[in-house]
Amino acid sequence: MYKLTLIFRYLVKRRITHFAVLTVALCVFIVVVVMTVMSGLVGEFKQKNHAFVGDCVISTKSLVGFPYYEDFMQTLEETDEVAAVSAVVKNYALMRREGDARNRGVEIIGLDPVQHSQTTNFGQTLYHQAADVAQAFVPAHEPNAVGCVLGIDLALWRNAQSQYTYDSEPADIGLILTCFPLNARGAPAGAGSVPVSTKRFQYNDHSHSGIAGIDGSTVYIPLEWAQSLCMAGARKRVTALHVRFCPDVALERGCARVRTLWDQFKQSKQGAPDAGLLETVTVETWRQYRRAVIAPMEKEEAMLSVMFGFVGITTVFIVFVVFYMIVSHKTKDIGVLKSVGASSPSVMALFSGFATAVGVLASCTGVATALLFLANINRVENWLFERFGFQLWDRTIYAIGDIPHHAEFSVLAIIVFCAIVACQIGALIPAYCAARLRPVETLHGSRT
Amino acid sequence: MLKLFLWLKYLRTRRIIFLSIAAVALSVSLLIVVASLFTGFINAFERSAVEMLGDVVIGPAPGGLFEKYPALVERLEQADFVKAATGTLSSQGLLHVGRGNVRPVSIWGIEPERRAEVNGFKDVLLRQKETAGPPSFAVPGAPEQPGGYVGIGVVAEADQETDEYDQDRILEETIGQRVVITTGTVDEEADGQATPKRKVIPFYVADVVFTGVHDLDSGFVYVPIEMLQDALYPDLAAPATTVNVKLKPGVDPELAVAQIRGLWQVFAAEELGWSTWRADMTDVVTSLEMQRQYIDELRKQMGLLLVIFGVVSFSVVVLVFCIFYMIVRLKRRDIAVIKSCGAASVSVAWIFLGFGVTVGVLGAGIGAVLGYAITKNINAIEDGIRVLFGLKLWSSSVYMFSKIPNEVDWVSSLPIIALAIAAAALGALTPAIIAALTKPVEVLRYE
Repeated sequence: MYKLTLIFRYLVKRRITHFAVLTVALCVFIVVVVMTVMSGLVGEFKQKNHAFVGDCVISTKSLVGFPYYEDFMQTLEETDEVAAVSAVVKNYALMRREGDARNRGVEIIGLDPVQHSQTTNFGQTLYHQAADVAQAFVPAHEPNAVGCVLGIDLALWRNAQSQYTYDSEPADIGLILTCFPLNARGAPAGAGSVPVSTKRFQYNDHSHSGIAGIDGSTVYIPLEWAQSLCMAGARKRVTALHVRFCPDVALERGCARVRTLWDQFKQSKQGAPDAGLLETVTVETWRQYRRAVIAPMEKEEAMLSVMFGFVGITTVFIVFVVFYMIVSHKTKDIGVLKSVGASSPSVMALFSGFATAVGVLASCTGVATALLFLANINRVENWLFERFGFQLWDRTIYAIGDIPHHAEFSVLAIIVFCAIVACQIGALIPAYCAARLRPVETLHGSRT
Repeated sequence: MLKLFLWLKYLRTRRIIFLSIAAVALSVSLLIVVASLFTGFINAFERSAVEMLGDVVIGPAPGGLFEKYPALVERLEQADFVKAATGTLSSQGLLHVGRGNVRPVSIWGIEPERRAEVNGFKDVLLRQKETAGPPSFAVPGAPEQPGGYVGIGVVAEADQETDEYDQDRILEETIGQRVVITTGTVDEEADGQATPKRKVIPFYVADVVFTGVHDLDSGFVYVPIEMLQDALYPDLAAPATTVNVKLKPGVDPELAVAQIRGLWQVFAAEELGWSTWRADMTDVVTSLEMQRQYIDELRKQMGLLLVIFGVVSFSVVVLVFCIFYMIVRLKRRDIAVIKSCGAASVSVAWIFLGFGVTVGVLGAGIGAVLGYAITKNINAIEDGIRVLFGLKLWSSSVYMFSKIPNEVDWVSSLPIIALAIAAAALGALTPAIIAALTKPVEVLRYE
């Protein structure tokens, strides 16, 4: 009981303690704001990538692709773990607008829009055809033409507030795609085939996946046309199969199952024509498949945490100094406590408890202030932009919408825990020194 | 003298002061490292722009290109502020390198000799950088074949762990290899119809380009400008997309832009027969200006990070205040004795304020040394982390450059050091005032 009384008294009456509380609160505030925004951006980015590729991807890095995919799709659809599968052809092409001589390199993704929407969020990324994905490649202007869907940044202009100007219907634009078909051996299509394939598509919709690299360089066309333009040979091929698992299937378990099935399938096709292409195929989770873009962001988040860790050392110093001062000034109190029977561990526990109280109070203050700031961060940024033209991130460069401002409980808990631990570490040596004080020395009459 | 004596005494007896020195040093070193790395990255980005594009870039023009670029180059090189100029024809295509290996590339038609004078292009050619004479497209062992250069990232991948290329192996495997570019144009037929035409440009690899900038190394191929002109625009007279200009040393690029614009307008009117409006629509900018928006964004991010760490580092003020307040409280008798011997209040205040400044100077000095050491050795530290923890923090595919820029930016470091000293002085201010207001009679009275 006396411990609580003394802790409360020191917290209220020792103004120097307020400095420690304020400093720790400031550090907690900064860390909560920065880590919430950073983890929000990383989390959003991961979520978009997951939605874009589905749960599991069976793919090859070679643009030649692999055959017999329809047989394997059937196998997958018969398993309990798999909810949907879609086949995709990924390749590169030159694209130009009808009437314009200038080409630009784009990535083309050939897919079946209905199948792919069951596996990924493709249907949700469309604008004009979102309600009826089956019409994604059926142009409203020319129903007999073949439609295509452009990444939103290829089709529309984004303003400084990351807002697009949408039309009520797709613009009447013809696009010419030129591809370089490869045969099953990876060589350019030879005699009897067209060495370069060109096809006109009618712009029919745009897709907003939220991933900058994809929205700025991808054209979606029907799967069969992608195969026709990019792949020569007797057997149809694809470059990837995207898989969505049933809701109750864990990601790793599902992928392990698919991996087993794929190995069995590969085995069964040994000796078949072009079966060698199956050797280049890998089975990966969405995280492994997109690691080249996800890993750098996760690394940056980790590096920022480490840098804040160094800065947090200053917090430990402050708590140490404050507690050192308190112990230095309260030697008589400690002497009295020990002389009436308080043990050294009790004295140490007293200052430890005090450090915890400082940590808890400072963390609560810091977190509350940070949550209040985060709740208004977008309003503040909009005001700064309207008043001074200042944006935290230039939306014409960065594909970011609103700044993430929802703090995750786990992040808050870790920060609060670290703040309390930092206070404990800072108070450790002064508490130990206080515990070692001898009443006879502290209460001696000549001591001041 | 008294001040120095007291400072040394407090440093010896009050070792807690070293804590404040350490805190100042830590904050200063962190801020210096952050500022230097960011500034180094921005400088490297600007340098790569100048190295790749020259000082001033003319173009692209309305319609994408203009003819008779050699005449423009000649006019430019007659100007006394221009060292060299060269034309570039740009296009995009698909490069077929090997079995199943097709990738989109940007194609630049260039004049390697002239380009080497404009931007030191020879230094980025792996095979020819050490050879005598200007660079050329001659293929070793087959000089009669059409030659070209490929970016190193186009034909090979960097090691996943070290992010480095095996340059010797790549040269051995790639030089003399036949590759094919496919690109396209639109040809106007006699009946006015525009017909898309594919253009296939085979060439043999004469050299490999390694600039250290990931986007350039993995997305560009270079062919003779005449070859590209003949393939894409056989009916036009020496077309180019841009002309790159190298200025003489000491010439201000911003001033030169106005003069070059004047030369361009005269050229456009006399040689091309363009209207003034059309000539004005052509960009004439410094290569740095072309990157302005991105560089400004980087500077903003750097400023933001420095403010964030600066706010947290402000806790140094609190730390110094606490320590000095404690010293003043414990040394009240010393202060009272000094004042009773005749020292003025201001003198007493200066003892502690000066001590605070000394703490700031010591801390900032150590921090600066630490910041310098970390920045200069950042690549070794990154390599050490990779070896110890298997974590590759920096890769060129993410951060553009193959090496972390490691130059200390003293322009932004000196204000950081000054602010650290000021923060320490600010922290010592209130305790110094308290010391100055000490009344000897109250402190020294015997009770």
